[in-house]
Amino acid sequence: MPFGGETMKSTATSIMITEFPTLLPETPITEAIYIFRESTRQHGRRLFGIMVTDKDRHLVGMLSMYDILLYMRPKHIQVWGTMEDLDVAGLIEAAGRRIKSILVGDIMTPDVITIGPNVDLLVILDIMIKKHVRRLPVIKDQRIIGIVYISDLFNHLLERIGD
Amino acid sequence: MFFAFYSIHQSYLQSEPVMVQANTLRNLSVSRAMRRQVICLDQHKTIDHGINTIIKHKINALLVVGSQLQPIGVVSKTDIMGAYYAGLLIDSPLEYIMVSPPLFCRSTDSLETALEQMRSNKVYRLYVTDGHSEDPVGTLAYPDIVGLLYQYCHQCEYSHLNRKKQDNESDPTHRFKARELMTTGVKSIPMHETLSTVMDALAAYRFGAMLITNESGLPAGVISKTDLALTYKHGVTPLVTAETVMSTPIHTCDADSLLEEAIKTMILADIHRLFVHDGNKNQIVGVLSLSDAARGRSGSCHGCISSRIKVEDQD
Repeated sequence: MPFGGETMKSTATSIMITEFPTLLPETPITEAIYIFRESTRQHGRRLFGIMVTDKDRHLVGMLSMYDILLYMRPKHIQVWGTMEDLDVAGLIEAAGRRIKSILVGDIMTPDVITIGPNVDLLVILDIMIKKHVRRLPVIKDQRIIGIVYISDLFNHLLERIGD
Repeated sequence: MFFAFYSIHQSYLQSEPVMVQANTLRNLSVSRAMRRQVICLDQHKTIDHGINTIIKHKINALLVVGSQLQPIGVVSKTDIMGAYYAGLLIDSPLEYIMVSPPLFCRSTDSLETALEQMRSNKVYRLYVTDGHSEDPVGTLAYPDIVGLLYQYCHQCEYSHLNRKKQDNESDPTHRFKARELMTTGVKSIPMHETLSTVMDALAAYRFGAMLITNESGLPAGVISKTDLALTYKHGVTPLVTAETVMSTPIHTCDADSLLEEAIKTMILADIHRLFVHDGNKNQIVGVLSLSDAARGRSGSCHGCISSRIKVEDQD
């Protein structure tokens, strides 16, 4: 594929993924975890964040791996984390049991930065760095039309640099 | 009654104790115990968003900030429960339910001063500034103080844990037990009552959680303010019965459990309170929370000689 000149694709549209799973806020976290694993298996790429929509398919949040890990983190680990002689067996399993009553909407990140389809790749790069985000939903006419992952942006830029 | 720490180990063992008026908490600064993460939200964010933040970060309250990011209020789980009880729309802004102003202490203040500030203002947390600016650099809540003291006692050669390692045949230490710091007179609500009734009782008794009983009057579950915040978020009417929302199993300990062990259970398992029974789990005689332990200045155990505790009359 030629690079450069008029054929160069430099906007969100060029690298966004257009087939993606979504979640509802009412979805149990356990089901979301299953979708994370299943999507990774089906699409051959590790998924670390899934968009959350309402029933009208409007974006209402993002559930990321970080959200789930944040909820699993023991509240008082700064107290006992350095006590090597404590018996902490079963704590991970206990965290797993606690998360069963939690829904996607309970721990998703509601404030999601989005971009339009014509946003330049370097602007996307800037947003991702400044805002510490690894994925950006692409919205057109209030509808989700895709998602840009930092890995795709990175790989795209590597190809451009290497050309 | 309240308990104060004293700094001379041997004083506790002497027949006529000489208590040195050097309070351990007074010598510890807030910076040693505070959490260096301040979770805040804009005043215009919704209550729904606030619940999300509180649940995800496992905090009991969040700091509400204005347009210039200046702290202007606090929204706690109690405030959220109030909104639920009052039927406030969950999309209402946090500013509707926040309590103003937030209370601050300095990172260099003594823990004793901070505890007194919390007690006299009847608040469960303070926000911490570094003294150079008004920007909050941390939060201080009762469990943080208990956690710090537990760390000290965990390292202490007189601690229950280390005593066991030393395999001493006799242990002269008089150790605190759960019954000595628990709150007695636990109230309960039958499981067929509504969440509104549960919230009424929680507000009336200023409890963080309510024991729920079955048809036979036996303990069946617990409803905490966290459970109620989630129920509110899930759009459940407060007219449903307690049974549909209560958490099980009930986390309990024996009244004769060592306080050190009870605190360890709570901080390991992310539990704020244990219901205390007298040998029979169906007979709840009290509740022991991390806040109780902090207010009692008992980091891990009274018996641990290094904790230098003396019981005094509050007056």
